[in-house]
Amino acid sequence: MLKIKNLYAGIDGKEILKGINLTIHPGELHAIMGRNGSGKSTLANVITGRDNYEVMKGSILFNNIDLLGMSPEDRALSGIFMSFQYPVVIPGVNNTYFLRAALNAKLKHQGMKEINAADFLRLIREKLKLIQMDEKYLNRGVNDGFSGGEKKHNEILQMLTLEPALSILDETDSGLDIDALKIIANGVNNFRNNDRSFLAITHYPRLLEYMKPDFIHVLIDGEFVKSGDASLAFELEEKGYSWLEA
Amino acid sequence: MNYLQKQFDALLKYWPNEDQALRDVRLKSFDQFKTLGFPTKKWEEWQFTDFSAIEKTNYRLSWASDLPQIPDQIPGQIEDCHTVFIINGHYQPPLSDIPDGVTVVTGLDHFRSNPELYAINGSKNPFLALNTSMMNSGVHVLIKPNTLIEKPIQLIYFTTEFSDPLMNHPRFVFHIGKNAQANIIEHYLGVSTLSYFVNSVTQVILDENARLFHVRIQEEAATGSHTASTHYEVKSNAQLNVTSITSGTQLFRHDIQLNLQGKGAEAILNGLSLTDNSQHQDQHVVVNHENDACQSHQLFKYILADKSSGVFNGKVVVHKHTKQTDANQSNKNLLLSSTALMNANPQLEIYSEDVKCAHGSTTGQIDPEELFYLRSRGIDLKKASELIIGGFAKDILDSIKNENVKSYLNNKITNWLESVLNDG
Repeated sequence: MLKIKNLYAGIDGKEILKGINLTIHPGELHAIMGRNGSGKSTLANVITGRDNYEVMKGSILFNNIDLLGMSPEDRALSGIFMSFQYPVVIPGVNNTYFLRAALNAKLKHQGMKEINAADFLRLIREKLKLIQMDEKYLNRGVNDGFSGGEKKHNEILQMLTLEPALSILDETDSGLDIDALKIIANGVNNFRNNDRSFLAITHYPRLLEYMKPDFIHVLIDGEFVKSGDASLAFELEEKGYSWLEA
Repeated sequence: MNYLQKQFDALLKYWPNEDQALRDVRLKSFDQFKTLGFPTKKWEEWQFTDFSAIEKTNYRLSWASDLPQIPDQIPGQIEDCHTVFIINGHYQPPLSDIPDGVTVVTGLDHFRSNPELYAINGSKNPFLALNTSMMNSGVHVLIKPNTLIEKPIQLIYFTTEFSDPLMNHPRFVFHIGKNAQANIIEHYLGVSTLSYFVNSVTQVILDENARLFHVRIQEEAATGSHTASTHYEVKSNAQLNVTSITSGTQLFRHDIQLNLQGKGAEAILNGLSLTDNSQHQDQHVVVNHENDACQSHQLFKYILADKSSGVFNGKVVVHKHTKQTDANQSNKNLLLSSTALMNANPQLEIYSEDVKCAHGSTTGQIDPEELFYLRSRGIDLKKASELIIGGFAKDILDSIKNENVKSYLNNKITNWLESVLNDG
């Protein structure tokens, strides 16, 4: 599904990722762990096509299509989604209206009929239940007046609504208390199936107790220094990152 | 200036039997206008706006004979309103629908009983002096005391296509009696492909405990120039709620003066300016807190596209010995292009101790983080921009309660945005 080959990328002329190779197959959940500044979020931003990030070398293929050079919206329409580490507040833009516009963009792209307001409300109410989110958040501005945890719920709500093939979860655990984390992890776990893939980015092994990864990659200074299965998380919890540093 | 002298003489000749007191006011005001002259770049309060186009164009006054065949469909009508039509400056009683509890008379009739209202004292605004000298149009609207008018009263001031450059100097007075409540829409529209000039003055008086929603919509044709002064007097415990939306004309200048005169008077003053191409919109607002326990809340936003420009000058003055003042003023501007220009100057003058005041002004472009967020959800660049800009404008309409008025303005903003984003 996702194939990253020998990727060198950065921002403002500064090289942050130094030769990343990563292949994610359908149905897999990969976790990337590493300290602040190791390049985890850079990787997420390069995959989703954020402005200002430049790719110096290498390639990213998604379902055999070259992602580089595609606009962020085209990447999203082809099935890529990112749950933001810091979701943006957009005052005045109604959350429901925004969610419906996003879903309709996808439906239109797939040549399907757009969803009307009444049907959408029914659909979104189902999704809200899955992550125990209050309906009152639908009628506010996008993330406007949301706490850190509520913003993360809103990100996962969008994921459940848009049903992407690849979901990148950038520090989704940060800002969540343990109960909220369980609810979110549960929402993600129920969403997992043989076709959907995930890339979870986190500092802390805790998230991975609730959201079991198939593979874990440790990123240090822009390079994967170690990859392994879920047990690597426990090793990291015990020993920290320093034993992996050169 | 020459053409104005000619037009002024013609006006005096046109109404030879006019009330002497009115004639005196006209003569005095025209002298005042001639002394002041058109504003120049050297006038501090006028420095960012160039009025030479008005000075150079040979406008002539609109006479009764200039009333056109009334078009079947007069644009801008908002659903479920009492509508008052003024076409090319001429009030149309047979077309208009005036509810019980409201009287509408032409300004000239009204002058006879209230001459003091029309005298201007020591004003340094030449357009106000010009209006007073030439006032040839407009109506006086009285909402009788203790009357509640449910439906909005919409005044449509419409300028049709014409064969030579017309000008009008409408004078409006909206008087809301004690304990009365109304919703008045002052709506300027034009379709002329030829240059025209509307120079209006509106005086709004809220008596004790009155309540007014005043919506001012300026959507003159791009060929028009519109200069305006609006004066509000708010008596004790009266509540004023103003929303001013302005998108038309090549040149727009609006001077708003709000005097909170009575104890406990409150005002909300919201404004949205939409400019495109080489349009220029200049608004000056002065809010005077003259009594105790008064509140004023101002929010003025500008959205500027292409090579357009805006000026916002807002001043809040809290007078000596007033107590428990609550005043805030906010100005936010969104530049949609690198060639758009905004000039903002918020000011506070506080001569009292017991005040809660806040003011601020920001100017910026669309936040790229917001754009990326929406695009990362599959929403294309144009739609994402439309959502963000629409969201920026939204709170200006928040205090409008009437759904028909709100939906008219919402559509207006959406259509404006579509046209601007399609150009770009």
